[in-house]
Parts: sequence; C-alpha cells; structure tokens
Amino acid sequence: MKLHRASRSVGVVALLALLIIMLSSCGSNSAQSSNEPIVIGVSGPLTGTNAQYGEQWKKGFDLALDEINSKGINGRKLEYIFEDTQADPKQAVVVANKFVANEKIIVELGDFASPASMAASPIYQRAGLVQFGFTNSHPDFTKGGDYMWSNSLTQDDSAPLHADYVHALGLKKIGVFRLNTDWGKTTYDLFAQRAQELGIEISAVEAYLPEEKDFRSAITNIKNSNPDGIVFISYYGDGALLAQQIRAQDIHLPIVANGSNYSPKFIELGGDAVEGVYLSSNFAPTDPRPEVQEYLKKFREKYNEESDYFAAHAYDTMILIAAAIEKGGATREGVKKGLETVKDVPSVVYGKVTFNTETRRVQEPVDVRLVIHNGNFEVWDGSLPASSASN
Amino acid sequence: MNIFFDQTINGLVIGNIYALMAVGLALIFGTANLINFAHGSVYMAGAYVGWTCVTYFGFPLFLTFLVVMLFCALLGMLIERVGLRPLQNSARIAPLLATIGISFILDQLAQIIFSPQPLALPPLISTKRFSLGATSIGVLDILIASVSLISGALLYVFLRYTRMGWAIRATAQDRDAAQQMGVDVNRVNQVTFAIASALGGLSGMLVAMYFNVLTPTMGFQAGLKGFAAGLIGGLGNVPGAIIGSLLLGLIESYGVALLGSSYRNLFAFVILLVVLVLKPNGIFSKGRQLPPEPMTGTFIASSKPVQIPRSVLIGVSVLAFLLPIISNNYWLSVFTTALLYGILALSLTLVAGTAGLMSIGHAGLLAIGGYTSALLSLRLGLPFALALLLAACVTAILGMLLVMPAFRLRGHYVSIATIGIGEIVSLTILNWESLTGGPVGLMNIPPPSLFGFEFYSNRSLYWLSLVLLLGLALLQWQLVRSHIGRTLRAIREDEVAAQAYGINLNRYKGIAFAASGFIAGIAGVILTHSYTYINNETFNNTISVLALTMVILGGRGNIIGSILGAGLLIVIPELLRDVLGESFIVYRMLLYGLLLVLFVRWRPQGLLGTV
Repeated sequence: MKLHRASRSVGVVALLALLIIMLSSCGSNSAQSSNEPIVIGVSGPLTGTNAQYGEQWKKGFDLALDEINSKGINGRKLEYIFEDTQADPKQAVVVANKFVANEKIIVELGDFASPASMAASPIYQRAGLVQFGFTNSHPDFTKGGDYMWSNSLTQDDSAPLHADYVHALGLKKIGVFRLNTDWGKTTYDLFAQRAQELGIEISAVEAYLPEEKDFRSAITNIKNSNPDGIVFISYYGDGALLAQQIRAQDIHLPIVANGSNYSPKFIELGGDAVEGVYLSSNFAPTDPRPEVQEYLKKFREKYNEESDYFAAHAYDTMILIAAAIEKGGATREGVKKGLETVKDVPSVVYGKVTFNTETRRVQEPVDVRLVIHNGNFEVWDGSLPASSASN
Repeated sequence: MNIFFDQTINGLVIGNIYALMAVGLALIFGTANLINFAHGSVYMAGAYVGWTCVTYFGFPLFLTFLVVMLFCALLGMLIERVGLRPLQNSARIAPLLATIGISFILDQLAQIIFSPQPLALPPLISTKRFSLGATSIGVLDILIASVSLISGALLYVFLRYTRMGWAIRATAQDRDAAQQMGVDVNRVNQVTFAIASALGGLSGMLVAMYFNVLTPTMGFQAGLKGFAAGLIGGLGNVPGAIIGSLLLGLIESYGVALLGSSYRNLFAFVILLVVLVLKPNGIFSKGRQLPPEPMTGTFIASSKPVQIPRSVLIGVSVLAFLLPIISNNYWLSVFTTALLYGILALSLTLVAGTAGLMSIGHAGLLAIGGYTSALLSLRLGLPFALALLLAACVTAILGMLLVMPAFRLRGHYVSIATIGIGEIVSLTILNWESLTGGPVGLMNIPPPSLFGFEFYSNRSLYWLSLVLLLGLALLQWQLVRSHIGRTLRAIREDEVAAQAYGINLNRYKGIAFAASGFIAGIAGVILTHSYTYINNETFNNTISVLALTMVILGGRGNIIGSILGAGLLIVIPELLRDVLGESFIVYRMLLYGLLLVLFVRWRPQGLLGTV
C-alpha cells in the first residue's frame, strides 16, 4: 500500500513525539546526597481562570523560602517545583503521578479547587506522599486518607465566628450572598446554623456562580426581603463587585464579609463602595502579634504591595512544612510524622499551629474583627453600625 | 408590581450589555458564516487597551474609546487575515478551530502582559444615579444603552444604504455568487471583522467601566452570552440581535427574581433552546422555516482520508499494550488520560463527523455518565460493571432525548443548541442538590473493578482504558461502514436529498446521538471512578471545546484521526511542561494556541482527513 505524503509526515511527527516521551521517561533519580536541596511539589493554577491565586501563592512561598533558606534545614536548602494544572482535575491527576514518580519530592502542596485536589488524592494516598491541601476547605478533603492534610480554615471554626461578628454588630435580620461552590455551600450551612442559635433571621440567600458579574437582580431580591444587614460569603473579586453594585442601588445597609475578602484588591476594586464594610478575618495589618507584623513588613519590602489572604496562607504553609521536615526528617514518611508531632508552629493566620491527628486539620483559628476605614483595614472598635437611619 | 418594575430595569440594563456583544457576533456570523470563538478575546483586549489608555496615558474618555475601537478593528483584521482567509477554500469548520487557537493566544498574552490579577478601572464618568422606583439607573447605564442603540442604528444604515453594506449583505447571502458579481469577498470579510471587532472591543471597555474590573478570562462567558442573545434575535440580523439581547436580559432578571441567582443561566439557555426549536431563525422570522444556508454539506470539505495500513494499526496497538513495561507512572497517567479522552473524541466524531452535527456540549454527556454510575455505586451499591453498563445506557437515552428538540436544526445552529444543552446539564447538576450533592459533589466513589479485581494501579487503569478504547473503536468502525454509517453520511451531505430518498432523518440522528451518548457515557464513568470525587465543575464546558478541537484536528468522522487528535492535545501540553521548564510555564497555553493555528493551516481537513 502506498503511503500518502501527508501521512508520512504525520508519522514522522508522531514518532518524534514518542521518542521525546520515551527519553524523558528514562531519567530516573539518583539517591539524594546530604547537600542536595529538599524538594516540595506544588500543584496549582498558573494559567487559566484561577491563575491569580497561583500567583499569590508563589509570592507567599518565595517569601517564606527566603527566610527558611537563610538558615537551611539541617544544612540543606528547601525548594519547590510548581506545576501548572489550571485547577483542572485531569491535569492535577497527571501532575500527581509526576510528583509521585519523582523521588526527590517529599511532600505536595495543593491543588487549588476541590475537584482537582480530590481527584488527585487517591494517587498521593497510594504512594504515601503527603498531599497538603492548604486551600482545601471541603469538609471531606482530609477524609480521603491519612496522607491528606490541610491547614485550610475549616468552616467549622471560621463560619460560626463570622456569625458571632454579625451578632456583635447587633444585626437581627440579614440577607446573604454566597458563592455557589463546595466552599460557599459548606461555609453557608455552618454560618446559618450558628446564626439560628444566635437568633439571627436570614431573610434571603442568593447563591451565585464564580463567573457571575452582574448582581443587580439578586440585590433587588435581597433588598425586597428587608434585612437590616448583608453578609458576604465570597472571594475578594466578587465581594468587591457585590459591594459596588449594592451601593450603586443606594442601599446603605451594613455589610459583613468573611475572611477570604481580606485583600488589598478588595479595596482597590471596591473603591468607595467597600468603605465601612466589616470583615471577619484571620489576621490584620494592625494585629500586634510579632509574626504578623514581621510578615507584613517583609512582604511589603519584597513586593511593594500588601499581602492578601491567599499569599499569607501560602507563606504560613511553607513555614509549617519546613517545621514538619525539621521535626520528622526529609523523607516522605518524615513529613507525615513531622505533621503529626509539630507543636505550636508560629503562624500568621492561626497564631500557633498544632494539628489534630484525627482530622488532620488545625484547631481554633484566631478571629480578628475588622472594618474598612478610609481605604484601610482597621480593627473594629466595637461601635455599632448607624444603619436603619438610611433605610 | 414594584419588584416587577425593578427587575425590568435591571434586565434592560444587563440586556444592553449583551447587545453590544451580540451585534458584532451577528455581523460576523452573517457574512463569514463563522462562530467566532475569538470574539470574546477581542472584547477582553478592548477592555485592557482602554485600561492602558486611561491609567498610563491619562486619555480622556472619548479618545480612549477611539483608540480602543481602532486597536480592536486592527486586531479583527488580523484575525481575519490569519484565521479565516487562508482557510477560505478548505473545510468550513477549519476557521472555527483557528479562532479557538487565537482566543487561547490572546487570553494568555493578556495574562502575561497584565498579570492574572483583576485590575480596577478608576471611575471615568459621573457616578450620578437617577432613582426609578426602588431601583436606579446611572449615567453609565444610559451611555451603554445609547452606544448599543446608536451603533445598531448606524450599522443598519450602513448595511442598507452603502455600497460596502450591499457587498456585505450579498456576501452573506451567497459568497460565490457575490464574488462572481465582482464583489471583493476578502475585503468584505475584512471590513466585517474590523467593524465587529471594534464594537466588541468597545463593549469590553464599557463592561469594564460598568463592573469596574478587568480579568484576562472575562471574554469566554461574555462570548457565550452574546451568542445566546444574538441567536434569540436571529443571527445575522443586527436589530434582531439588540432586541434579542434585551429580551434575554429581561428573562434572566425575572428568572432570578423567581428562583435565585443560581438559576440565571439555566433560564438563559432554556430560552435559547426554546427559541431554536420554535423559531430557528430568531423570534423575528416568519414561521418555522429553516435557516436559508445550505450548511450541512458545505461543512465537510472533500478530502481523501489518509489510509493507514492495517499492519501499522495492529503494530501500534501491540506497542500500546506493551507500553506500561517501559513507561513510568507519570507518562502512563498522561496516556491513560489521552485514551479516555480518545473515547470521548470517538463519541463526538460520530455525531460531528459522520453525521455532520457539530456538538459543543459533549462534556454534558460525560457528566451524565459519571453521575449516574457514581450514584448507582454509592446509593444502591451496584457492582461497577453493572453501574458502567447502566450509566452508558442512561447517557445514551438522556443524550438522545436532550438533543432531540434540536434535530431539525442544521450547521452552526446545532452547535449553539448543544452548547445550551451542555450548560443546562451542568446547571441542573448544580441545583439538584438532593440528588447530586450540588457544589459539594460526590466523594468516595469506588475505583473501577471487575470480578473483584480493582483497577487501582496506573497500569491496570491504563490497560482497562486501552481495551475499552480499542473495543469501542472497532464497534464504531463496524457501525460506520454498515448501512447506518452510510445513511448518516448521506444526511450529512444533503439532508433534503436524503429525505427525498425516504430516510427518516430523526430516527437516524437519534441513533447517532444514542450511540455517541453510550460511548461518551463510558468515558465519563471511567474518569469519574478514577477521580473518586466529582462535582458540578469537574466536567465543564472547556472540555466540550477541547473534545471538538480533538475531532477537527484528527479529521472529522475519522476514527483513528479522533484518537490521534486526543492523543496530541493531551500529550502536547504535558510535553511543553518539560520543554519550557518552570520559568516559562506561563507560555504553555500560548504555545498550545499557536500550535492549533499552525496545525489548521497545515491540514485544514484534519490530520488524517475527513471520512
């Protein structure tokens, strides 16, 4: 049979591709010597719709590494390999296999969203490589196996604190905007439970999709339920948009947002509209704790901007992992042992971190009540909102 | 009553925003007969150019608008020159692939130049608002409305009374005839792209002002909505596009008032489907006549498929079986993904290639298959093999029933209808929490197993996928060369002729979609059980676009081509990972887009040609 010219070139391309693959699959890693750097694998979004969060992670990681590597861990440097997955399950699975096959990697951080992280979990669990999902708030993430760990805020802790803040502000009837993702749903359920205990009535809930930009109709719904306050369970991007569109409709009810809105971008994007917004956050620039002040100062020096929630979390995670490696040893099993045994690791977000070895989660985060004043996050002084006057 | 009034105002405001987008898309669809996937990226580019003008150069608003329109017009001309003109005489579908590639390139460029962080646009005009009932409208709302109305009116006049306008309309009606009458068709396309892109860019800028935020990925969703809006009014019909957009805005607004924000897009796409079924030419057309385009046949370029000797195929299959012996786990998982997406591509190539019904909603089938078998295993404890079989059957039936209303559509209308169906499936999964867990999803889905053997390791999963792919490919090969395959191709080439010959179109289209659903369902089941966790975002609409890309790349209807296409599109991004290294990883999707554009230039009929 005569081969067509085009098919021949196709064949050549295919062959070449195959060759490259085979070559790259041959390279296996030699045993580690004592001076080689310790390697961490990071799986997360650097391109695609969630790329902004991956970029913040990097800033947090790099800052932490500057600090860790000035001393080193038993004379060795710490490094990370960041593989882009676009927070897409099919790429996260492939990257998981890549990390597992690389013997140098002793712990993995990520992925960003639950569908990607939890699709990769079985692979990490089987290989005995700790998957440290530091943004994985899905309540069942750490139930994937004893190698799934997380220092993400469990909403078990932070959502009720958010409701407590609403209560402290004297609000009795609230309308809620929540992101319709696994995170938004679980957070809301826990928030609503606590709100009910406190006697706060939820007059309306609007669940919106992550890509939503226009909230006019939803705001009209909330407004018509006549609340005396509005609660956000959102990220900073949509939180800022919500605040703007709420104020544009001439609604001046107090807004109480949750911790993931803590970002300079929230103020930058929200402008005047976010003035006076209350935030139930995990750390604040005015927080006098030395680890917070130290972190913020260094972040400003290195990047010439303010840190946000995601960068702070990434920074915290890297410090924590370094402590676990130091404690348990620079092996895959060592990291797990380290996480089980570390005690009171200093943390920007939590103050101090100790793991519950049953749930593989952190207990009792710190709650800082903030309010935005003159374009800055400030600690709430306890004064009640002058609402209802404008209503 | 008061609520009704408020939601009406809300709906009109957002409808005006859709209108800006829909007008440009309608224009391009009318003349070039192309779903321009890059239009959303042009819209994004407009916003970023505007942002640069305002924050870096401090241009006044009017000058900014001018620069934005000029830049985007040039960008549009470039897209026409690169993505459309060289492919004019090849398969009609080739430009669609090119625009997908171009949109990847543009979105990624924006991310590299301006960072992926959302940017804020300082307020440029008075933020004064006029209260209207309980709601209010601002100066910007009025500006947006006037821009969309004025540009619509200008376009109408231009198309109706100028020589160039006549030429555009003539080209839209019959490109070849127009050319014969001395119309410079290339110039017409260029002008169309320039005008449409200038409008698209302007709308991007206005929307950025409206929401006060820009992101590099803002275009995709906007493009989808613009299409839905344009279609409701009738594609290629400029005043219709505006009215359709306002209607869409209104319906969404009332929908949110009734059921809440999560149902917003559900309303949009259900309306889209209803309009497509009742009035495929848009709500302003007379009666239920079909679109005037003789599209079905023209979709497929006549090309000779590449014949691959049987010995080579057997050899490659044997090698594929032996691969796990030499490959490491990483590449094994890459190939497993490629095999499973190969099954998806196989399923799509049957409807999109053999039957000529371009579906852009195939991710919906994966989701149906995956959720069905996950629920059967979790809730009823059925063994995997039974769950797999049942899920595939359910996908076949549901897939067929969902697409059934769209059977009488042809060409691009099928594509748009299936986009809508895919979205409806995903939004139903999101909102039907009692069954699907909604956004929290389903977890602890057991791994695939047969007779007590669990396909847990990479190797066993690879072999399972390989056996399924080869088995399904052989089945499909039998199907395609049977009388059913011949009939489907006849329908693809000429529906009217096929019907005149006594073929029951709906029955055969039904068979094609059922078979396609069965195959896609299997891919969905295996993916789901190997992930062990799924939620509404696992199978999103980017997978539908990816599947279509695989099929077009391989050569439509070509079984081996679709598998090759899947292999390349899964393997290439992974190869780029190692080739680029960590510091250049952000260029990965840029190169991917570039490769797509080059591939389509090189082999517009697909790598192995259309069967």
